[in-house]
Amino acid sequence: MSDAVNDLPTAPTWSYQPGDWFAVVGPRTTLLLPASEKARVVALWQLVDDGAPFGAVLDGLVAQGLSTLAGFALVGSDDVSTTVLLRGTGVRARLEAAAGTVEVDGAEAATWAERRVEGVTALTVTTDSAPAGTRHFAIDAGLVRVARIDRPEAGEEAGAASAQAPSVAAALDAPLESSPLDEHEPDTSAQPSPYADLAAPPPPPSSPPTLPPTAPPPPPPTLPPPPSGPPSTPPPVGPPSGIVPGFGPEEPSDEEIDDRADQSHQPDLAPDEPADDVAVVADAPESAEALTEAMPAVPDDAEQTPAPPSEPDPADPLFGADHDGNTQVGVDPGEFARQKPGIPGQPQAPSVTRPVARLLVSSGETIDVDRVVLVGRAPEARRFTATETPLLVTVPSPLQEISSTHLEVRPGSGADHGSAVVTDLGSTNGTQLVQPGLDPEDLTPGIAVQLIPGAIINLGDGVTIHVTRP
Amino acid sequence: MTGVELHHGSATDVGRVREVNEDAFLAEPPVFVVADGMGGHDRGDVASRIVVEQFSELAHRGYDPSRGAAVVAEALDACQQRIAAYDSEQRANGAEDFAAGTTAVVALLVEQHGQPKWLLANLGDSRVYKYNAGRLEQVSVDHSVVQELVEAGVITRDDAAVHPERHIITRALGGGGSTQADYFVLPLSAAERLVLCSDGVSGMIDDERIEAIVAGTEDPRDAADQLVAAAVAAGGQDNATAVVVDVVGLAHETPFDSEKQRASLEEKLGALP
Repeated sequence: MSDAVNDLPTAPTWSYQPGDWFAVVGPRTTLLLPASEKARVVALWQLVDDGAPFGAVLDGLVAQGLSTLAGFALVGSDDVSTTVLLRGTGVRARLEAAAGTVEVDGAEAATWAERRVEGVTALTVTTDSAPAGTRHFAIDAGLVRVARIDRPEAGEEAGAASAQAPSVAAALDAPLESSPLDEHEPDTSAQPSPYADLAAPPPPPSSPPTLPPTAPPPPPPTLPPPPSGPPSTPPPVGPPSGIVPGFGPEEPSDEEIDDRADQSHQPDLAPDEPADDVAVVADAPESAEALTEAMPAVPDDAEQTPAPPSEPDPADPLFGADHDGNTQVGVDPGEFARQKPGIPGQPQAPSVTRPVARLLVSSGETIDVDRVVLVGRAPEARRFTATETPLLVTVPSPLQEISSTHLEVRPGSGADHGSAVVTDLGSTNGTQLVQPGLDPEDLTPGIAVQLIPGAIINLGDGVTIHVTRP
Repeated sequence: MTGVELHHGSATDVGRVREVNEDAFLAEPPVFVVADGMGGHDRGDVASRIVVEQFSELAHRGYDPSRGAAVVAEALDACQQRIAAYDSEQRANGAEDFAAGTTAVVALLVEQHGQPKWLLANLGDSRVYKYNAGRLEQVSVDHSVVQELVEAGVITRDDAAVHPERHIITRALGGGGSTQADYFVLPLSAAERLVLCSDGVSGMIDDERIEAIVAGTEDPRDAADQLVAAAVAAGGQDNATAVVVDVVGLAHETPFDSEKQRASLEEKLGALP
């Protein structure tokens, strides 16, 4: 840790054995939670990954009470000491230090067991999850499923056979030379490439054949590009941002970026667009200066915002084309692009091929919910793409109690995946929902509610929709 | 598309400033198109004509109305390819950086569950309005920079009408922007009258004026003529084109109690035993 950044002490690389638990590995702290605590993992991942101090992570961990938390392991390190908090049976830690070896068991305390040890040279945290295989994978930062984790990387029993560094996070911001990994350097550098290792693990001569005959532990679903150099020379990568690609919280973070860009109302003028592109307007009397005045200023950091994927190539001929038409194609205003069609704040309906529910409308129609279904007196579908045409279901409303586009039923996403959700689209007279075993409820406009088979949706005017399995 | 009778009118004018009319339109029931070509010497008129030809072929050849948006998406793809082919042909002939482009707004009849519906598609800043029960409402959402600014809350809708960048569009056929169209489905009963127009109309006269003309004309041909005439009279800064479509007789789309009403009326009249 010779060159540790002051505010972010870089942790040496961990290794883990795949299992059921979640491990969130961050620059200051590492958090292990059981498989059932997915929601907490999502909530805490950002804290841990942003390098929040030990206390802040602990606050977040117990914010919803300790009684609901069956087990956890929280490890924090600074330059001097390492603190370990353990809770739950089967959650154990072993810390090796110059002063001796310390064993901690999460089952030994009613709240949690805590140890603070100085000069830790090796640390192992085991859980009640059975490891899937014996191999160890290196991780510097990120979110993975584990059975146990070790620091420094590579458990001894795996020895030289350790599947060194698939480099899950690919964000090796701490030079390995400065980490205790040095002791293992000869072993690791003997491995030509982690990927060759993954493809066909060569049994190292010095180790017993520990590889099980069964399938090797599932490699991380998507691997980052292989490091360009040998494992002992990590690429100089920026801030620790590593996370296993494709793992849940990564997508929210992207959306957050978009949201932030949206909220800042950044004008769409990409800073790299030549000014004369926007000034080529045949009938615009304004000078280029007046034009830039009329447009809000582009923030200096605009170029740091993610480039919109659909931004057209500025080199496109049309951009420089002189023409006498008033109409011209401009840039796609990427980062502050308008909301996608659908209900603001809710994800788009996923593309599913199998219906998730069947709607029996009291007017006689039977509809399978395999896409967005809009129900109303005269429903209209607005702003969809060619591949996701909503189904319009017209229901009679002689008293005009039902709004023209009254509600939407569609396949749920996220937690509602596999079932249908209903949303009142701001109807005049509202929608009542009666679900089996639940009190009747009036739908709040814009808020999707998951539909249980047997549910009855009442639109008024004597029109009901009976929800059944497809 | 049995049972749906459509009346329509259409008009176009080069305006007072332009020398070439780069707008093009198609009114072949049940397919209606307005395309606003751009590119000046890059022959936007060719691009807009390609769109009209492609949809004219669709109207003549016929299409499966139950396929809905896919029909239009295929036609738009074909347009995009033809415009790209035209571009490369021109570039091969020495016209460097040649790039024609056009907007497109399409209205055609489709079927869902055997019920006829309007399918509307939009690319660019040509518009489609619906007129129903005395009210005009813009259905399409412009793919333009000012529209994005309005939706982002940066400028107001009134600012947009005079914004210096109001002519910059973000999606088009043959342009550098996205070619992903927006689609809309309306029940026939949602629109007594549809108005498709280029920005030479909607940019010269405001929505109140359009509503007054649409409401004040019986015949769709008169409506289209007057819309274009009003746009030219208001300055005619751009090519102005309007297509107006009326749905005549909605008897096929049976309201809940119409059967009962009709029966009782007939009984009252003694036409039935």
